[in-house]
Amino acid sequence: MAERSQKEVWRLTPWLVIVLLLGNFLLMAFDARQLTSGQRIIRVWSQTVADFVQSPVTTISSAVSGYFGSISNLRSAQSENDLLKKRVQEQEVEIKGNEDLTAENARLRSLLDLKAKSKIEILTAQIIGRDPSIWFDSSIVNRGSLEGVKLNMPVVANGGLVGRVTAVSPLTAQIDLITRDKSGLGAIVGEIGASNVLGVVSGTSKKDLVEMRYVSGSVDVQVGQIVYTSGQDGIYPAGLKVGEIVEVRTGSATVPHQIFIRPSSGISSMQEVAILLYEPPVRTEFEQKLPNALTETKKPAGSRP
Amino acid sequence: MGQLKITIALILAILLQWTLRNVAEPFAYIDFPLIIVVYAALQRDVLKAIFFGSFAGLAVDALSGGLLGSNGFSKTLIAYAVSELARRVYMDNLLLRIPVIAGACLLDDLIYYGMHKLLGQEPVGQVIIVIAYTLIGTTIAGTFIYLMLDSTLVERRGNKKRDMFPTRRQTRRRNPIRFTK
Repeated sequence: MAERSQKEVWRLTPWLVIVLLLGNFLLMAFDARQLTSGQRIIRVWSQTVADFVQSPVTTISSAVSGYFGSISNLRSAQSENDLLKKRVQEQEVEIKGNEDLTAENARLRSLLDLKAKSKIEILTAQIIGRDPSIWFDSSIVNRGSLEGVKLNMPVVANGGLVGRVTAVSPLTAQIDLITRDKSGLGAIVGEIGASNVLGVVSGTSKKDLVEMRYVSGSVDVQVGQIVYTSGQDGIYPAGLKVGEIVEVRTGSATVPHQIFIRPSSGISSMQEVAILLYEPPVRTEFEQKLPNALTETKKPAGSRP
Repeated sequence: MGQLKITIALILAILLQWTLRNVAEPFAYIDFPLIIVVYAALQRDVLKAIFFGSFAGLAVDALSGGLLGSNGFSKTLIAYAVSELARRVYMDNLLLRIPVIAGACLLDDLIYYGMHKLLGQEPVGQVIIVIAYTLIGTTIAGTFIYLMLDSTLVERRGNKKRDMFPTRRQTRRRNPIRFTK
């Protein structure tokens, strides 16, 4: 009797395997088709469950590494202290100058009757989890929808752009980095207003390098120049630092430059990030009706109200 | 009881996979859920192995930037292949399990990478290097984990061995040559 049931199991198994493989394949195909829009509910649930494990583990591990780190740093503390004292004195002078400039700016603005430029609110977050698969490099932070985090909100660290929020649970959020090959953002070489070298920055599948494309080969671009977001992609605000140009493969009048940028955010070593609670402005009706514009169902959530 | 222990081991493996990369980057090269899925498949419990494969794969995919279902696909296939192999070849020896876990890891990585390429996704990093490191990490960790699991489930293993190779009934030998009367 037992032998027969074992045979039945072995007869049933290939069909079960086919069903499971098909299910997984459909899930993959669905995810690949709508990778940039919305989020899968399974990700939200998993993140919520994982948070109860990831947060304590991160807290303990960072406390332990911090303890040993502080012991090893004790040796250089004296010289560092002297250097910092000197730097504080310099910065006090600088702050005084800045205060004067701010007051002057406010006075001039009131004279010109300009509205104050709205500031973007920032939410600091700690990275509590990294991508469990070595093939990808997304991160999970300890801020979620309860604190106002929404899909596609930009994330920065160390003064540079890191990526955007791609999944939000009540307590956590997943961040996709700009180094991912499917990422893309509008960028400009040099400060906005001082330059007109526009292009698109996308990932190269290398952990510390992104590529700027579609920059006309007839414009002058140098290694060492800084690249900022242009704000034209409908996700990132203008003026965020992307990184520094490390290589330029010069194009021609008909062939665009190939520009490689090292992100300034220190993606591989970051432990804390800042989420910009920024929602892009509403696009005009005309732009929404462009042939290549995203439809209502496919649009990135959070990009429009 | 042994079944419950393997299930607990799988849950622990998923939790380790979720958390250890944030503690130290090299841990990402160890595929803990794959080790447990292969172990379950080696126990010839094919149904449990394929369900473990799908569940563990989906759990890893859910927190990953990769495609949802890609790990589930590869691990289900690996679980089935290993249980078919274990059905035909006796592999209750640790030395025989080492090449099995290494082969399973290699196949898992190739399927995972291939599925992403097929669906237009480009994983991060150099393929050869990532596969090589994962192969080394998972094989070494797998060997130690199998030793641990075997020592934990030793009673069950002993029973299974007794079932597979029952002790032969000793027939009484008679000496045909009698020296005495």
